[in-house]
Amino acid sequence: MSLTLCSEALSGCSGCEMSLLNAGGSSLSLLDRFDILHMPLLMDHKYFDSAGGAQEIDIPKARLGLITGGVRNEQQLRIAEIMRRQCDVIVAFGTCAAYGGIPAMMNLFEDEDLFRRYYRTAEGTDEALNPSEVIPPFLERTFALDEKIAVDFILPGCPPHPDFITLTLESILEGKFPQLPLVSVCDCCPTKREGKGSAQRIRRFLKNARRQPDKPISEMRCLLDQGLLCMGPVTLAGCAGMTGGPPRCIEARVPCRGCHGPVRKGGSQIMDILNGLVSNGIDTQNLPDRLSLLRFSGAHGRMNRRSARNAH
Amino acid sequence: MPDIYPGFEPRILAFTCNWCSYAAADLAGAVRVQYPASLLIIRVMCSVMVHPNLVIEAFEHGADGVLLMGCHPGECYYQDGNQKAKARSVAIDEVLSLMGIEPERFRLVWCSSAEAEGFASLVRETDEALRAIGPCRRRRDASNYSKSELV
Repeated sequence: MSLTLCSEALSGCSGCEMSLLNAGGSSLSLLDRFDILHMPLLMDHKYFDSAGGAQEIDIPKARLGLITGGVRNEQQLRIAEIMRRQCDVIVAFGTCAAYGGIPAMMNLFEDEDLFRRYYRTAEGTDEALNPSEVIPPFLERTFALDEKIAVDFILPGCPPHPDFITLTLESILEGKFPQLPLVSVCDCCPTKREGKGSAQRIRRFLKNARRQPDKPISEMRCLLDQGLLCMGPVTLAGCAGMTGGPPRCIEARVPCRGCHGPVRKGGSQIMDILNGLVSNGIDTQNLPDRLSLLRFSGAHGRMNRRSARNAH
Repeated sequence: MPDIYPGFEPRILAFTCNWCSYAAADLAGAVRVQYPASLLIIRVMCSVMVHPNLVIEAFEHGADGVLLMGCHPGECYYQDGNQKAKARSVAIDEVLSLMGIEPERFRLVWCSSAEAEGFASLVRETDEALRAIGPCRRRRDASNYSKSELV
């Protein structure tokens, strides 16, 4: 018997859907075991009856619901609530759904800042007023999915690796949730560490890391040791999938950006990395690009706009 | 003076180190120094063993203020634990500001084991400061308290 599936994309970039397509052959073999009822990525399914019948968003009942993206506006909130009602199991698919992701960086700014940038000051844009219709009203910030609806399983990643997508879908077909990695990126990083305290300060990543391009990653010195802000210690492993290879950014000899969110659910990436740095005697006051420490996990109230921070 | 936030009783969580500030709290009890009942004490071995995440979690679970108490600089039982705690407190301040939590709500203070009165006055000060700024917005019941019009 096939499993019924609904999928929705909220405040995200469709990268998770691309990763789902990228699962390739393994996803094809799964396809005949799923009965896809609703997936805006694949099929044209109108929310409303154009003949003027039902006025409620119409998503069919299903066993499994995959939701990508966080919740930014009232339409997305409504869709998320209806998905919760119609699906037995909800999977928060990708970092945006799990921790807010990139769109949650907007939480630092006012809505008006966004509109001014988007409709008036962006290069190559003809000035226009803020739209007064069509766009659903904004919520006060970007929320992770589990702040608004109950979530049964979190599959983080920006995007999740196809290996883990396949593993998750296969496990759910068998009626259980898979065991995802519970370790940090450092735990599966082969670079050479030369001990604590070797980095005295953190520099901006303008010049490449010291490395020998013809030598493997295991010959390269740890990027944090080299004074680059690598989020590896505070980020959940899994970006390399089940290939056993090095973390993807490290493989490109670039510091980890933290896309899989905190290692422990509910953890704070910025607190952990700042704590690690100050404990090693590094001055964090002058850390370049500090706010990007919450680049992928700015929901759950970890990031607040300036007005909310100053006023009480 | 009337209450600024009527009905509001602050909840202060204090992490006190075993060797100095917990002993001071103990002494304050023994010599019957009065201090507000809004304080909840957690004894730890050293101020540096309080991971910043514990402070953040305290606020997320509804604390109005967190006191991290250690020995005076140079008097740490473990030599430099309190200095490390001080370095970390900078990072805590920064994260709290991003979270929209007022800086007054978290304090790192020193207190020796003989300073019963000093301990009590630190608690009193914190209690008064929190009564003035009201409940932390992370508290689930924060909306029940509003600023009095009399003040």
